[in-house]
Amino acid sequence: MGDMPLFCVQGLAYAYPDGIPALSSVDLEIFSGDRTALVGPNGSGKTTLIKLLSGLLAPKQGHILYKGRPLTENHLEESRLTMGVLFQDPDDQLFGHTVMDDAAFGPRNQGKSREAAVRCARQALHQVNLAHLAYKEPHNLSYGQKKRAALAGILAMQPEVLILDEPTANLDPGQEAVFLDLLKAFDGTLICISHDLIFLYELCEKAVVLHHGSIHHNYTMRELVSRRSALRDHGLDFSFRMAIPASDVPDANGARVHEENGPGPGYTPSCDCAKVRESHSVHPPLACMENYEYVYPDGTPGLQDFSLDIHEGEKTAIVGENGAGKSTLLACLCGLRQGGEDLFFKGTRVTKKQHKALWRRVGLVFQDCADQLFCASVKEEMMFGLRRLGLSSDQCRHRAADALARVGLSGFENRVPLHLSGGERKRLALGCVLAMDPDLLILDEPTAGLDPRGEEQLMAILDTFDKTLLLVSHDLFFIEKLTHRTLVMHQGRIIRDLPTPDFMQDDKLCRFNGRSFSYRRHTATAIRQLQHEHEHPICRKWQRCHFRQMGLERCPGQARSLCNRVLGDALP
Amino acid sequence: MTEVHHIQVPLGYLPLLVLIPAAVAAVAVPWLRSRFRKQVVPGSVPDWSIPPLDDGRGGLGTSLIHRWDVRCKIMTMLAYSFAVASLRHLSAAAAAVLISLAVLLAAKVSFHKVVLRVLALAGFLGMLLIVMPLTVPANPGDTLLVFGSLDWLTVNVRGIVLAATIGAKAMAVALLMEPLLATAPLPVTLHGLSRLGIPEMAGQMVLLSYRYLHVFSHEARRMTVGMKARGFEKKTSLDTLRALGNFLGMIFVRSFERTERVFDAMQARGYKGRFPEPGQLQIRMPDILLTGVWIAVGTALVWFDWMKG
Repeated sequence: MGDMPLFCVQGLAYAYPDGIPALSSVDLEIFSGDRTALVGPNGSGKTTLIKLLSGLLAPKQGHILYKGRPLTENHLEESRLTMGVLFQDPDDQLFGHTVMDDAAFGPRNQGKSREAAVRCARQALHQVNLAHLAYKEPHNLSYGQKKRAALAGILAMQPEVLILDEPTANLDPGQEAVFLDLLKAFDGTLICISHDLIFLYELCEKAVVLHHGSIHHNYTMRELVSRRSALRDHGLDFSFRMAIPASDVPDANGARVHEENGPGPGYTPSCDCAKVRESHSVHPPLACMENYEYVYPDGTPGLQDFSLDIHEGEKTAIVGENGAGKSTLLACLCGLRQGGEDLFFKGTRVTKKQHKALWRRVGLVFQDCADQLFCASVKEEMMFGLRRLGLSSDQCRHRAADALARVGLSGFENRVPLHLSGGERKRLALGCVLAMDPDLLILDEPTAGLDPRGEEQLMAILDTFDKTLLLVSHDLFFIEKLTHRTLVMHQGRIIRDLPTPDFMQDDKLCRFNGRSFSYRRHTATAIRQLQHEHEHPICRKWQRCHFRQMGLERCPGQARSLCNRVLGDALP
Repeated sequence: MTEVHHIQVPLGYLPLLVLIPAAVAAVAVPWLRSRFRKQVVPGSVPDWSIPPLDDGRGGLGTSLIHRWDVRCKIMTMLAYSFAVASLRHLSAAAAAVLISLAVLLAAKVSFHKVVLRVLALAGFLGMLLIVMPLTVPANPGDTLLVFGSLDWLTVNVRGIVLAATIGAKAMAVALLMEPLLATAPLPVTLHGLSRLGIPEMAGQMVLLSYRYLHVFSHEARRMTVGMKARGFEKKTSLDTLRALGNFLGMIFVRSFERTERVFDAMQARGYKGRFPEPGQLQIRMPDILLTGVWIAVGTALVWFDWMKG
């Protein structure tokens, strides 16, 4: 068994029932104990590959050997009990009546007695910090809790192999950190799909790059992240995220410094703050809430004594833990929920009747954009809102065409929205809203589930948006790039209202955003160093030696500036 | 007793006897329903770390009904419900309601849920109480109430009694639903049904439907919000029909895709066509005794009704 791969894939090909090829000529070996990342743009065949590896699909061509035998009949049934597959949507996986029933499902199928299965389930629930909710029904859990409960159902089986499909998609930084710790502690074989290369860099040693259904590269993770050209070729270049504010670049003594020439490379103010401030004194706020209250139908308070001014042209971010009331606030601003009456729009109180017409002024892009796409074609989808604005057919057509061009979807008019990739769907949802020309654009977690190319495209679109923007996100990079004001929400109230640069330098930042931000910053720094070393091999040796002398192993921000200064002419 | 008796009632009593009760019921039922749905008892967050129906470990299920074997419970309550449905007299039906109330007290089930269940029935029973007295044909010996000079508007007292009897029987059975369904976890009840001969696949489908109805309704709600956010309002128009058609189609497609993914997830965890049994069912002497007592009560009720003629 020593040198025999755990998974041996040879000449694998698979096509969907409608004949569309998903994978072709895939050769891959995964050894016991390997931690392998499967990366590639949306639609590259990653999920199909893990379904084949776990025996949920049968190969059309080629073969897959698991522990040296093909995944068929008895061996397939036995193998499934040693693998844990975590699917992207936890609702697919939580089919038990209670969290405990669900977690005990796998162990019971492994032949364990009821008591032994409950013991395994309880232990797994302890691992994911859900023991206190063991007998709750899954539909009453929050999204993050569902995701952890799904992982518990897998861990309870004590699998030899963990296969994970986007384990941290749509999780807040705190929950992501819990996942990272658990997965790091797992000592079996791990195969993980994610678009989040920073997360994968922390977790995996190997990286398999899939593109158009075949394997383009089989690297170590360090090699992958250091090769920007390969990342760019496969739509995985996330380097645009790694521009860290000047404040975070440590000096030689490890302390943070502020560069004299203004903000660092990561800071691009998207709004003319002086102009906005000037307009504050002249015009009433675009949207204003005064001592606003919202109580859910079951009596739980949603927003309490809530006051907020959003001025025209302002770009504001809202951050806060899950359950802080962010989504409730958005629903109130859009008129989808109606709380107290103290909501003003352009200085006029919004009456009960006018609440229903707020959609004309406020555009909302949902976190899961599949919830706002329901038409049979992209064209129909675009026209849905425009027709309700009472525009003529010609105006509707022009606006739809303009918006599609703006979000890079010209030519997609006859495509079915459901069949678009995640990034395309997000841009379509944004296009539908932009076409309606709202005074206030609200984005709820716009980067959730997007691959790096999708994120970059979204960023480019939003950079050109010149109206009022309200961004709800855990993504600090997007917050920093797109907004100049940040509100921190907690338990239905705003507890901090800061300029975004101040928020980014706030020492208590980690309290709101979890440890995840710290590890991301740290990992991004390490990756930048790798990329820099890869791109500038001449100075690599000198640079390492120089920084080791200073007692620093990694200091890419300084390294780059020093390289540029000292060896600038010699750089390739 | 061959004649129909007419009792003249002043016209002013018409609103008092018919319109005002109907109006009060029409306002009170929705109000009570919303009130009971909203009500949150402070400090009443359950401890989810223990099974809520576990007996003897601090859970809620410590009553006799909770400890009763689920098969005996299903069979006995089913037989008793048929016995109640066969009653013909208001007094016997009222006695059945009292017995159901006593069972509710003994089972210590949630008062909120019972009220919501009763309110769900209230509309249907209210309609019976209004319509039957006005529509039951007058037989010899019946008493009709005539309001003032409105000869065409007669209320048959036998209709009132008949409606009240039907209502009481329906209420007596409905009140037993909470002790039947809320005193054991759903998987255990379905397991009991399968042991009584209901196909196991039917039980599995009910269990999955219960879980995924919540998911689908949540999805439908989010999509409705998505439509409203772009100005959708229900109107009597082709446009609304088209939008609703798209909405239903999308819900169907998404649900269909989800069922495939759920099945994949089940297979990935070793599902081979059977759910693991939720626990061992065992009939003990107290179960048989309780079944006997209950059947005796049902028999006594039927005998009492039969004695009334």
